[in-house]
Amino acid sequence: MHAYKLDQPERLRAHLALQHRLYEVRDDGQGGQHWQVVSAQDFSAFEPAAEPPPFSAKSFFFAERELLFRFDGGQFYSALPAVVPQVLFGLHACDLQAVAYQDRFYAADPHYQARRRATLLVGVDCLHSCTGGFCSIVDSGPAVREQSADLILLPRQDAAADWLLLVASEAGHAALRGLRLPVAADDWQAERSANQACVAAEQEPQQEIVDGIVSLNDGRIAAATWEALGLRCLGCSGCTTVCPTCSCYAPRDRLGAPDSMQRERVWDSCLYQGFQKEASGHNPSATSGQRVQRFWSHKFGDGFKAQFEAYGCVGCGRCDRVCPGGIGVHGVMQRVAQS
Amino acid sequence: MRVVPSICTFCGVGCGLGLRVEDGRVIGVEPQPGHPVSQGQLCSKGWATSFAIEPYKRLTEPMIKEHGGFRPASWDEALGRIAEEFRAALDQQGPGGAGVISCARATNEDNYAAQKFARAVLKTHNIDHCARICHSPSVAGLARTLGSGAMTNSIADIDVADLILVIGADVTENHAMIGARMLRAQARGATLVVVDPRKTRLARLADIHLQVRLGSNIALLNGLLQIIFANGWENRAFLEARCEDIQPLRQYLAGLTPEQTSAATGVALADLQRLALLYSHAKAAFTAYGMGITQFQSGTNNVIAVSNLALVCGQIGRPGTGINPLRGQNNVQGACDMGCLPNVYPGYQEVADPAVQAKFAAAWASELAQAPGLTSQGMLKAAQAGELRALLIMGEDPLLTDPDQNQVARAFAALDFLVVVELSLTETAKCADVLLPAAAFAEKDGTFTNCERRVQRIRQAIAAPGLARSDWQILAELAQRMGYPGMAWADAEEVFDEMAGLTPIYSGMTYAALDAQHGLQWPCDAAHPQGTVILHEQSFPLGRGRLLPVTQVAPDECPDVEYPFAFTTHRLHFHYGGGSMTRKSPLLERETPAGLLFMHPADALKLGLHDHQGLRVSSRRGYLETRVQLSDDVPPGTLAMPYHFQEAPCNRLTNSAQDPISKMPELKACAVRVEPLPPGQAPSAQAGSREVEHARL
Repeated sequence: MHAYKLDQPERLRAHLALQHRLYEVRDDGQGGQHWQVVSAQDFSAFEPAAEPPPFSAKSFFFAERELLFRFDGGQFYSALPAVVPQVLFGLHACDLQAVAYQDRFYAADPHYQARRRATLLVGVDCLHSCTGGFCSIVDSGPAVREQSADLILLPRQDAAADWLLLVASEAGHAALRGLRLPVAADDWQAERSANQACVAAEQEPQQEIVDGIVSLNDGRIAAATWEALGLRCLGCSGCTTVCPTCSCYAPRDRLGAPDSMQRERVWDSCLYQGFQKEASGHNPSATSGQRVQRFWSHKFGDGFKAQFEAYGCVGCGRCDRVCPGGIGVHGVMQRVAQS
Repeated sequence: MRVVPSICTFCGVGCGLGLRVEDGRVIGVEPQPGHPVSQGQLCSKGWATSFAIEPYKRLTEPMIKEHGGFRPASWDEALGRIAEEFRAALDQQGPGGAGVISCARATNEDNYAAQKFARAVLKTHNIDHCARICHSPSVAGLARTLGSGAMTNSIADIDVADLILVIGADVTENHAMIGARMLRAQARGATLVVVDPRKTRLARLADIHLQVRLGSNIALLNGLLQIIFANGWENRAFLEARCEDIQPLRQYLAGLTPEQTSAATGVALADLQRLALLYSHAKAAFTAYGMGITQFQSGTNNVIAVSNLALVCGQIGRPGTGINPLRGQNNVQGACDMGCLPNVYPGYQEVADPAVQAKFAAAWASELAQAPGLTSQGMLKAAQAGELRALLIMGEDPLLTDPDQNQVARAFAALDFLVVVELSLTETAKCADVLLPAAAFAEKDGTFTNCERRVQRIRQAIAAPGLARSDWQILAELAQRMGYPGMAWADAEEVFDEMAGLTPIYSGMTYAALDAQHGLQWPCDAAHPQGTVILHEQSFPLGRGRLLPVTQVAPDECPDVEYPFAFTTHRLHFHYGGGSMTRKSPLLERETPAGLLFMHPADALKLGLHDHQGLRVSSRRGYLETRVQLSDDVPPGTLAMPYHFQEAPCNRLTNSAQDPISKMPELKACAVRVEPLPPGQAPSAQAGSREVEHARL
């Protein structure tokens, strides 16, 4: 990777915002944080969030609700989204890993790919762990992988030093055209390794996650343990909604004038009883415990890891925050590791 | 994408959510991080908000019924027709000839407008709403023992309680964020006790579950008190300092024995003693209850019995304690606060008080009726008697949610004129003569008051579909046409300000103050500008708390040879009320069949029924067809049905026997029989619906 010195990340942001619709996570002043459009004239300070935003980048590509096609009684009309070139500025390594995961899942999906191809991803390394994160254990961060971003921002432990900017793709390289940046002589590889070690130390070993993954793959967990967890699952769909790698959707047909209809797809959740229920009434995941087991097997199962070359869990901890039953990733893995 | 902060509309908890808006529609929601009530979480209903309010299958223009069918009409024509028909009803029958049923899902501003319309325009106190069938006994019971009928403490008190007693409330399903908070409290060491005839999720997770016999609340609560007195476990210091004479209650209970209580409730002796000990010795016991206390003909006395227990043990007026009715709808607290009740003006100011009458007559520049009005059930009865001719229903679906559906249908059929203001074509809306399209909560500004008395802002995020309008705008326009100029508000804030000026418990509130800190809890006035988190810390509104002896009363209808099963009704986590909003979500709708009857496997074995078999369920009032779902959630001998489904409306079976004080009907208990349908025959939604069909004509 090429590395440049960047006196102000805001300069890069303004440069990219000239040619793209640029999004960054901003506080809403009410305790919330959202991806918001930032104009080229906006020079307010770029401060990478200490915590991952409530919503990952998932919905930029896999929309929570979107029209797939219309039918007017005689003919089908596709409804591919209209896209404009866009930049997601300041993505953490975990969320970029999740985008890479979704890229594989939706490799052949034209709706997803239309949006994805129009997007430049600007990642940012984390110098410190967020609360409850464990990217260093599932190998999704804190350093942004070269393959998962177009540009990577590297903040410095020394706040007075210039930021570094790593170019991770052709598209990233092209996007810098017109921006003069000095080449960095610093040993950024060593610096990133040191940052990584620092975050790993802050995250501690989290043995329950490590042990839980082993137990889960060994099939050593009693059905009763899963059912006890299942009793605490309200089926709210919060975890699957905020999970950056969850990719399931349901079709939704809306009937219009006689003989016409529209098909949407909407985010679905495998924690719903109806998710796998078949027309006969048979349900392969009939109990709540089976559904909880199935969900976590998708996140930590060796088979999925082999297929996607990464765990389905990127260690962001969002499920811990939204689960009313206290069975987000830490709640589950503690009980699973003990059983 | 814009995210507009708002409040969830699916129950009385009042969770903070952000509406995710794109291209003029709400495409999803997100929890508000750091919201004091929901702490960054939502339940399945909250997460499904975008489906509930989308334009698809919404009413978008006024409609007038002609020849049994609806045709579109302009606002001008529809409102003109309504004004004419209401005038005719009033001319014929006098001020008692018309009434309004307001809406616990609508905003405070809408509800304030509804009662002002009834009182200042129609000149009647015939104004009520669905609090009648959820917590009217709480208002009546706690008014008698404490002097104020709302949740005494706050949801955050759960965090500091060391014992949590839940009676007759399915909290994880219906008030999920409160249920979640209770589970977190249990995880940090609090003892969780659930009293419920059904084995609910929370009951299964609780430290103690008392599976009481349906309708034996007073026997249980009296029995616990008797054990407490017999052991000298009452809080003498509290009783001396804060309550009236304890002797009548003590003497009344002295005749009881724990054995009698055990026999009456079906709860083992040891469990009774354990709970009596734990509750009376807890440093802070948080008592929460729901419809399992109120929806009985003994509803008010049930509430008094809860109050007795809390007062005797001094479990009130401190952090982590309290008597905490869990309110069902997002703004049922607010609709009560706004005076959508036949006996009180906004802020519980009595209609019977001449000074109050004079205050409102002057403020509204209108003559006002002297006599209190009719309750919702009373209005339906009056309609059948030909005494009430015209009724306006705002956003409620009594045909599905009130007891004895056929009786409701007969009342609708007997009315000269029914106006329904709604989001979509509900069962009740189908019976209307004129149908008006309402704006949903994401389409208007206003406030909701949650069950802990917290008044919170909602904000317009998108335009209403078609010609739909806010309820208060509709009522204001109608008032104008009926010759009353006093409702010509410019916006929701102006309605709020007028209300706050007349309502002492809201008098310290403004939109700006509510915006600043996730709402304010009433009473909020000059003396409490930051609102009130815990009520009754120093004294009760009555001065001293009252301990009133109450007697166990069995349900009006108990199982017998003809109708051998006890029958109760409940809610499912995935649906809300009559399902008109939640059933628009393809995901929630997929979760459960449209109607089902829960039965213990032992009963099914005796009757030779298999899971999901079709059957007919009959009571003395009507019958329906549905499918059986075998479950040990219910005890043998007791059947349960959720009330969300028009295809199998369990309220066709329920009993309208009433609590004499609050007029609460006994929705929680009646008697039924079941008969299997022939093999292979699917249940029919039409079975038993003749009177409902008639009411639609």
